[in-house]
Amino acid sequence: MIGYAAALRLASGIVLLAAVAMLWRRDLRAAVPVLAVQGVALGVVAGTLALHQHDVGLGVTAFLVLIVKGFVVPLLVWRVVRRDPKIRETAPLVNVTASLVAAAVLIVLSFVVSAKITALSPSVATRLVPLGVATILVGYFLLVSRRRAVSQIVGLLLIDNGIALVTFLVTSGVPLIVELGSALDVLLVVVVLQVLVVNLRSRLGTFDLDQLKELHD
Amino acid sequence: MTIPLFVVGLGIGVAGVLAGAVLPARIRVASIALLVSGACLVELLAAGSVLLSGRSRTFSSTAILPLAGLRLLLDPLGALFVAIVAFVGLAATVYLVRYAFAGLTTRSATACYALFVTSLLAVPAAANTGSFMFSWELMAISSLLLLLVEHRHRQSAREAAQWYGVMTQMGAASILLGLLVLGSHAGGQTFADIKSSAAGLSPTVRSVGFMLVLFGFSSKAGAVPFHVWLPRAHPEAPSPVSALMSGAMVSLGIYGIIRVGGDLLSGGLLWWWVLVIAMGVLSALFGALHATASSDLKRLLAYSTIDNMGLVLIGVGASGALWVTGRRDVAVLAMIAALFILVVHASFKGCLFLAAGAIERSTGTRDLDQLGGLIHRMKGTASVFAIAAFSIIALPPLSGFAGEWLLFQSLLHGFTDRNTTTVIALLAGVVAFALAGGLTAVAFVKAFGIGFIGRARSPGAGAATEVAGSMVAAMVLLAGPCLVLGVVPGLAIPLLAKAANVGLPSATPGPLVRGPNLELAGYYGAIEPALLLVALVVAGCLTWGVLKLVARRATRRAEAWGCGRELQTSRMQYTATSFAEPLQRVFSDVLRPDIDVEVTHVAESRFYEKALAYSNETDDAIERSFYRPVASAFRWWGERARRIQNGSVHRYLAFGFAALVMVLVVLA
Repeated sequence: MIGYAAALRLASGIVLLAAVAMLWRRDLRAAVPVLAVQGVALGVVAGTLALHQHDVGLGVTAFLVLIVKGFVVPLLVWRVVRRDPKIRETAPLVNVTASLVAAAVLIVLSFVVSAKITALSPSVATRLVPLGVATILVGYFLLVSRRRAVSQIVGLLLIDNGIALVTFLVTSGVPLIVELGSALDVLLVVVVLQVLVVNLRSRLGTFDLDQLKELHD
Repeated sequence: MTIPLFVVGLGIGVAGVLAGAVLPARIRVASIALLVSGACLVELLAAGSVLLSGRSRTFSSTAILPLAGLRLLLDPLGALFVAIVAFVGLAATVYLVRYAFAGLTTRSATACYALFVTSLLAVPAAANTGSFMFSWELMAISSLLLLLVEHRHRQSAREAAQWYGVMTQMGAASILLGLLVLGSHAGGQTFADIKSSAAGLSPTVRSVGFMLVLFGFSSKAGAVPFHVWLPRAHPEAPSPVSALMSGAMVSLGIYGIIRVGGDLLSGGLLWWWVLVIAMGVLSALFGALHATASSDLKRLLAYSTIDNMGLVLIGVGASGALWVTGRRDVAVLAMIAALFILVVHASFKGCLFLAAGAIERSTGTRDLDQLGGLIHRMKGTASVFAIAAFSIIALPPLSGFAGEWLLFQSLLHGFTDRNTTTVIALLAGVVAFALAGGLTAVAFVKAFGIGFIGRARSPGAGAATEVAGSMVAAMVLLAGPCLVLGVVPGLAIPLLAKAANVGLPSATPGPLVRGPNLELAGYYGAIEPALLLVALVVAGCLTWGVLKLVARRATRRAEAWGCGRELQTSRMQYTATSFAEPLQRVFSDVLRPDIDVEVTHVAESRFYEKALAYSNETDDAIERSFYRPVASAFRWWGERARRIQNGSVHRYLAFGFAALVMVLVVLA
């Protein structure tokens, strides 16, 4: 049986690893299982914290996170991906190698930035905050560098998961109602983007967001 | 806690705003006119009691204005300006009842009108930065909206509103900044806090604060070089609003300078006031010159406002400078002179703007080149216009004469000051004052001569009829002080002296002797306008009698200036443009006339002309050499900035991402 600290580190590490994996794989179908893995890892982080602190509320939150981020959201994304005839991110604005280098730089940056947060109250959980910040930055980078609408959804979800991770690690559990609210928010965003994507294809026949530039001209 | 009278007046004004916003069209104008004129009357009473007794009234409430709290204080200086505003407001509102046309009777316009008058009344009573800026901004915004009442019919109204909006908001931001700088160093945002700790502030802080507020206030007062909005905004507003802007709102700019520089900072430094005099000199000359060259009646009046505010600024600046160098009695005299000119300016300029509105309503134009002969068709308007115009060019025994006499006396007696800078500034003031006085005379001889005398130059002017009785009554109300203060100017002096003693913190009564006349104790100088009036009347009767005795032939009515010719047409007369042409030629460097002659030939021969079109436009030299380049530079930057907005979602996302990373790098 692995200990509290090891479990927390492992799960948080998986969250960031999943984010980087998303940059690495251009195949959009691969995004779905990676997202699911990340969601489950996030649930495990919350669950570990709940077990460690004997907090029932946090336990409920962990369960909800596991369900929503580990299963429901990936399922919704899968339904979008399934309709897309071109399943590969054919021409990202930044190629994969450069993306990975950029991700490395961002991770270093987040370690430097988070040092101040960690210094406020050093503990096993707060030492992992850089992983959450790095997940947010990588998600944002994905948002900027990918053309496909589905990639945008994935990037947004990465940002949200990163924020959730930081929240769990820093506060060791926000009130249930806040967590529910943000989970609902994410679901709503996914649904809206899903509608957008479907409309985009029916109107313009493409999933490429850069085609929206035509609206400006 | 009893609520003082002036707060009740403001309450009635607010009721007027609500009435304008909710009442149905049928009774809207009548009811806001009733409420607003009621508010003005109550304020006149309140201000009068403060001025007579010399006791201030205060009111404060934290419920009405959150955070800063509403804090009002009506002292004699504020009361004088409240009285000016209330008087002009009363007349303008009486005038409005019959003047109001389609655009001015809407909910928004009537509510804005009531709000404008109410906020004008509130500004001089505000006693902390929050209340002051609140009422100041309400005043600016409501007047801006009123300016736009006719925007559907006139492109120029929109343009004027843009200029006015930019200038007034820049000014307000600057005033706010200045008051905050002073307040933060003084350790409190009420005016009393600033005043009590002003002596302990460093000269740098005081100068920075005063320069910031000076920019805002002098721009509101239309001082050159911040005047550009004024000749556009005043002509485009509906006439009662023009009268309020020119008679009341512009004075509040002067109020701000006196309040902050004189009262709160208790005199300040010499160079501030030399700067104020310099601005006054520029404004007086620039305004008077442009007034002579304008052929649009309301534009002429607007430029004349710049000229008059220039005179007031010379007075205020001279007063401050002499105060700093220690000539306190003359300083008080100069302040009284400046306040006197402000009061009479409000009455005659308000009256002239209302008369211009009456002319526009009756003839459909305000272009002097299209008018003429109105003295026969609009007798009431013509008489009040004459009284106000003679007052503005300072003919005795009208009020303008008394005001200018006071100002001349104070400037001339200031020459004996030991400080050379002050003396040079005063000298420049006297010279500018004299030249501006002459030019103003030309401008108003033109306005009255071309507009009212001679023959009609257009069918509209030929068919003009007198406007409604209540409108004439409003003009008569405003013309009243021109006569009264002209004949017995001494009546106003004790009240003005109380206000001046707040503006210049002292108990010095000044050299003026109490009484109906103006007489300086300790200096050679006195006028007795009442005697002058008697002499004028006697001389007039004598002349008439002698003429009756000498000229015994029967009166023959014939064409004026006929010179034996027949079939004179109205096109043979002087026009406003041709009257001003010689002066325009002399001052062409400043006025930069743009003259264009367009000749159309008959198709058969180039030697016969079919039509001749002549146009003569003057341009604002300051606007052309400073404001327009700045405006086009801003536009250029705006166009450049627009290029980064190409509509690509990724680019916008990348901006956000770059900003986030940059913030993190800075934090790290």
